[in-house]
Amino acid sequence: MRAMRKSSLGDILGIGVILAVAVFSLLLLVAPSIIVLIISFDTRAFVSFPPEGFTLRWYAEVFEQGELVGAMWTSLKVGLMVTLLCVALGVPTALACVRGRFRGTTALSVFVLLPHMVPGIVLGVAVLFAGALVGVSPSIWLQAISIAVFVMAVMVRTVQSRLMRLDAALEEAATNLGATSFQALRTITFPLLLPAILAGAVFTFVEGFDNLSVAIFTHGFRDRPLPVELLALVQYTSTPLVAAVSGVQILLAVLALAVVARTIGLDGVNE
Amino acid sequence: MSAVADIPAPRSGLFDQVLDKLLSGRGIWPAVPAIVVLVVVAVIPFAILLSLGFSDVEVARGAIVSQDFTLTHLAGALTDPLYWITFQRSLSLALTTTALCVLLGYPVAYMFVIGGKWTRRAILILTIAPLLTSGIVRTYAWLVILGGRGVVNATLMNLGLIDQPLRIMNTHWAVLIGMVQIHLPVMILPLIAVMARHDGGLLEASANLGASRLATLRTVILPLSAPGIGTGAALVFTLSYTTFVVPQLLGGGNYLNAATMVYEQVVFSLDWSKGSVSSLILMATCLIVLVGIALLTNLATRWTKGRAA
Repeated sequence: MRAMRKSSLGDILGIGVILAVAVFSLLLLVAPSIIVLIISFDTRAFVSFPPEGFTLRWYAEVFEQGELVGAMWTSLKVGLMVTLLCVALGVPTALACVRGRFRGTTALSVFVLLPHMVPGIVLGVAVLFAGALVGVSPSIWLQAISIAVFVMAVMVRTVQSRLMRLDAALEEAATNLGATSFQALRTITFPLLLPAILAGAVFTFVEGFDNLSVAIFTHGFRDRPLPVELLALVQYTSTPLVAAVSGVQILLAVLALAVVARTIGLDGVNE
Repeated sequence: MSAVADIPAPRSGLFDQVLDKLLSGRGIWPAVPAIVVLVVVAVIPFAILLSLGFSDVEVARGAIVSQDFTLTHLAGALTDPLYWITFQRSLSLALTTTALCVLLGYPVAYMFVIGGKWTRRAILILTIAPLLTSGIVRTYAWLVILGGRGVVNATLMNLGLIDQPLRIMNTHWAVLIGMVQIHLPVMILPLIAVMARHDGGLLEASANLGASRLATLRTVILPLSAPGIGTGAALVFTLSYTTFVVPQLLGGGNYLNAATMVYEQVVFSLDWSKGSVSSLILMATCLIVLVGIALLTNLATRWTKGRAA
């Protein structure tokens, strides 16, 4: 049985205010997205509220606009490239940080996290200048690799924290039974790490798809990614077209969320 | 032949054997590719940025032809009132954003701690979903809401409270509202992560000892969540100090903040020296505030521990 709480009027009021603020904050978080979704179906050619009618015209227009579809493809490619790079470079790094028996494992972990501490635009400017000096001009490759360097910390940290909670004895047992280190890694450790790698993959993909701060300095001029294209579009158009692009992105976000919830659980995000 | 040879060796190709050699030593090898990439794409570029800010550079055909150490660019920036106004504005905007995010985010995290399974799930979904949506999309939403014919103005006019649309867009307020809403999730998540670690028993114990909810919040939950506030504040500050989406879209053409200034110097004026110096000042000021936040967090944690002892 619970002991009696000493509840005074002040207590109830205080908690009431706190909960009211919490509900306000949560509404503030979703309201804008919901309003954009509503606008995206409006029949009028200018943005206004409340909407007058229902149409899918703006969604159709999104897919008719060559630049927008092209930008989506570019961002999709960048997202995949960033994810692949982060898996290929980040997972082995996390392994070395946690399971390595060399001096400087801590230094290594800190070193890998550093690029993520530098503001994105500073990294973007730095890569642009350095590239120009050695004759590497902005391109989809430069964009992907600099974003990957920027977010690799997320992958390393996620895999690292999972790895630290795995029992190293599992691998040792496997090697004692005659498996090579690589076999032990492939058949024992890797499957156990998969949820963490997936979580990292979702976030690095989203970052690659949607990064503006690094991408705006490093993207190729022939292949503009979606955020850069969208920024220009928002500045120079006033139709619900952007709302429709937003609608597509919100749908993608819900999908990503579902993937996360299914594979690692929502709590896993916050580790 | 030793007995070991009788055990059939695991069948593996050359690729597997090489990988095995690299892994079994537990050396630094698996991290080498990442280190190389980080050095080439982050360390060297950053060193170049630093050197460009402090030198008179002549660039010809993509290579530096002459380079002399100088402080003129830095001095030029420090004596230019535009820099002072811009950085001051960015700093105060980012700090206000951070403070507001703590005030709005903390109650959500508290609700997560005291809430049941469904409350928790709802809070997580509502917090993570916006993070997966583009920052531009979320900023655009504020254009729709705060604009001349936007939600706020339309509602107020329909209610007959005003007969001319209020000018909210392209003001400091619009930028602040957008900043807070966009960065709020980044504050809530670390708070939840820290607070969820101490759930259950501790709250129960406090209640059993007769503490009111408010007293439990003040004496138990708040002190324990100091590191979460620190992490969240550091993230929100960095992001809001260095973003250019929100000021660009909600602040209008004349609203210059540190990030938009860097962008204009680099992309429009093509002024490498100015771009380098601004980037470096941006980073240095950011670092100073981050150290400040870390020290404050440390102090708060130690103070509460001292009180508990």
